[in-house]
Amino acid sequence: MKSADDIRQYFRKSTLSTNIEKHEEIFEKIICAQKQSGKTEPVSYRPNIGKIIMKNPIIKIAVAAVVIIACLTGVFMFEKTSGVALADVLNRIEQVSVYMYRMSMSVSGQVINDKPIDQEMNVTILMSHDYDAKMVSEMSSPLEEGKITQEMYMLPKKKAMIMIMPGQKKYMQMDLDDKMIEQTQQQNNDPRLMVQKILECKYEKLGVSTIEGVEVEGFRTIDPNYMAGMMGQVDIKIWVDVETQLPVRSEMSMQMGEIQMHAVMHDFQWDVTVDAAEFEPVIPEDYTALTDKPIKMPAFDEKTAIRGLELFVELTGSYPEELDLMNIISKTSEAMGGKLAGEQMQQENRDINEQEMTKELTEKIMPITGLAAFYMQLVQNKNDPAYYGEFVTPEDADKVLMRWKVSENEYRVIFGDLKAETVSADVLAELENLPQ
Amino acid sequence: MEDKLLIWKLRRGSREALRRMYDKYHADLLKIAVVMTGGMNTAEDIVQEVFRKFAGRADRLSLSGSLRNYLITSTVNTVRNFRRKQRRHKTQNLDETDHLPCEQRRPDQWAIMSEQLERLSAAMTSLPYEQREVITLRMEADMTLRKIPELQGTSVSTAQARYRYGIERLRSLLNGEL
Repeated sequence: MKSADDIRQYFRKSTLSTNIEKHEEIFEKIICAQKQSGKTEPVSYRPNIGKIIMKNPIIKIAVAAVVIIACLTGVFMFEKTSGVALADVLNRIEQVSVYMYRMSMSVSGQVINDKPIDQEMNVTILMSHDYDAKMVSEMSSPLEEGKITQEMYMLPKKKAMIMIMPGQKKYMQMDLDDKMIEQTQQQNNDPRLMVQKILECKYEKLGVSTIEGVEVEGFRTIDPNYMAGMMGQVDIKIWVDVETQLPVRSEMSMQMGEIQMHAVMHDFQWDVTVDAAEFEPVIPEDYTALTDKPIKMPAFDEKTAIRGLELFVELTGSYPEELDLMNIISKTSEAMGGKLAGEQMQQENRDINEQEMTKELTEKIMPITGLAAFYMQLVQNKNDPAYYGEFVTPEDADKVLMRWKVSENEYRVIFGDLKAETVSADVLAELENLPQ
Repeated sequence: MEDKLLIWKLRRGSREALRRMYDKYHADLLKIAVVMTGGMNTAEDIVQEVFRKFAGRADRLSLSGSLRNYLITSTVNTVRNFRRKQRRHKTQNLDETDHLPCEQRRPDQWAIMSEQLERLSAAMTSLPYEQREVITLRMEADMTLRKIPELQGTSVSTAQARYRYGIERLRSLLNGEL
């Protein structure tokens, strides 16, 4: 690339002049405004949150998809947090066969068709050492009466994930392949992997304090690497029982563009006694499946990434600008919501086959979320990935849309026309023409 | 050193210290706000807001870097909040209003752009906002392409690409003047 010095020079030469006579007047205004704002109660920033969420089936599925992917990638699991005594903490967790905790989560911001959301979710999570997991979540929204309850079972031995929605008398099964199971197990349960990741984060000690009578030591990280840089700004805190070396409470705040998420994990119970039947989903006879066949969760690989990109273009007309999970889900839901509204499917065509509709939605959403998850995985595995969807269009056949390292000197490249090729590092440098 | 002294004085309520900071940096910040928003009126409001907030939080200010860069970062954040507020209120998009203030000079406008700055600001407003932000931070605050992503909440490669594409586009827009 040509040096940017000429532009820098141009910036330097571009000047403005200010009216000195007005300086005092302006300065007075500032002082006055500052005094004025000091008199009033400081207004903390809170988005103009409306009251619309979860009425739209698409949003429900989108949220479900986020939860599923998050579960697979360990987003909601506290294990990836920081701490100087972390190795000890993880060792202790490894010794625990079954544990339980609660998570209170709120999501707010601007998501669907510029309609703000304000979503509260309370989840009870039961994890067993042999990788089975059960999550019971209750979602509520200020404008919607009642709560939406979901039960989600991760069943690696059966290579499946089952979601039950008692309110709707529905259930959904998702099949997972071996690779996905392996990834899930690695993400959630391999302490060595977790320690390695945590130690890569910069963290600070919060000192010793007391939570509900228990002496705890706190740790905090705001290192974006915590979520492989894929979830925007993060602020993670964890408090560990000084005596037992087990977590007592954890907080996670994330800011992803216009979306804010805050989660608190609490009420940890270690070595709880549970019946194996707890992990067995019970689907009452009068419940119907959301899809005629189990949904297949796509593998997080190149093929899924290309399919996800292709679908995203079909829906929105362009590639996603960035591949962070929440934004990509939000844009997809928005586009799909518009599409459905255009087809007047929501109100008029009540006879439409719900199974077909859900199938179509999930078939589109899954590869797109799989794309984000694949990229997240590349970042986590330090495959030197880069993504240029903000600048590359489907017409740019020779431009690098996405790339990642596959060997010492080779990169896999997905071009603007979605063709993939392996190129040497030198060729990639030429293709990207990165600034020095 | 002077800045540290000024902050120390400001914490003790010195109006003169704030005035000195204002005199020292307001033109730089105004220029940054102009190239990011394209409009002098908006830029003036943003700079006033930056100093107002700065004065309000002076007592708990803890600076690790330079005061200039702190104020530049505040300006960038204020522009971002301003855009967010505009979108939320469903009024005109800031990008759309960017070109207007130059023509519609407000009676109380207190700054005048050089012709070169007018051209630069017009060229900048034709870039996507994120590219404008990267270029401004790089050119005016000398911020590195590793530091900028922390502010934007994005990856280094995205910031690099935004910079590269932005510079190329600016070069073509300002063709003949460089």
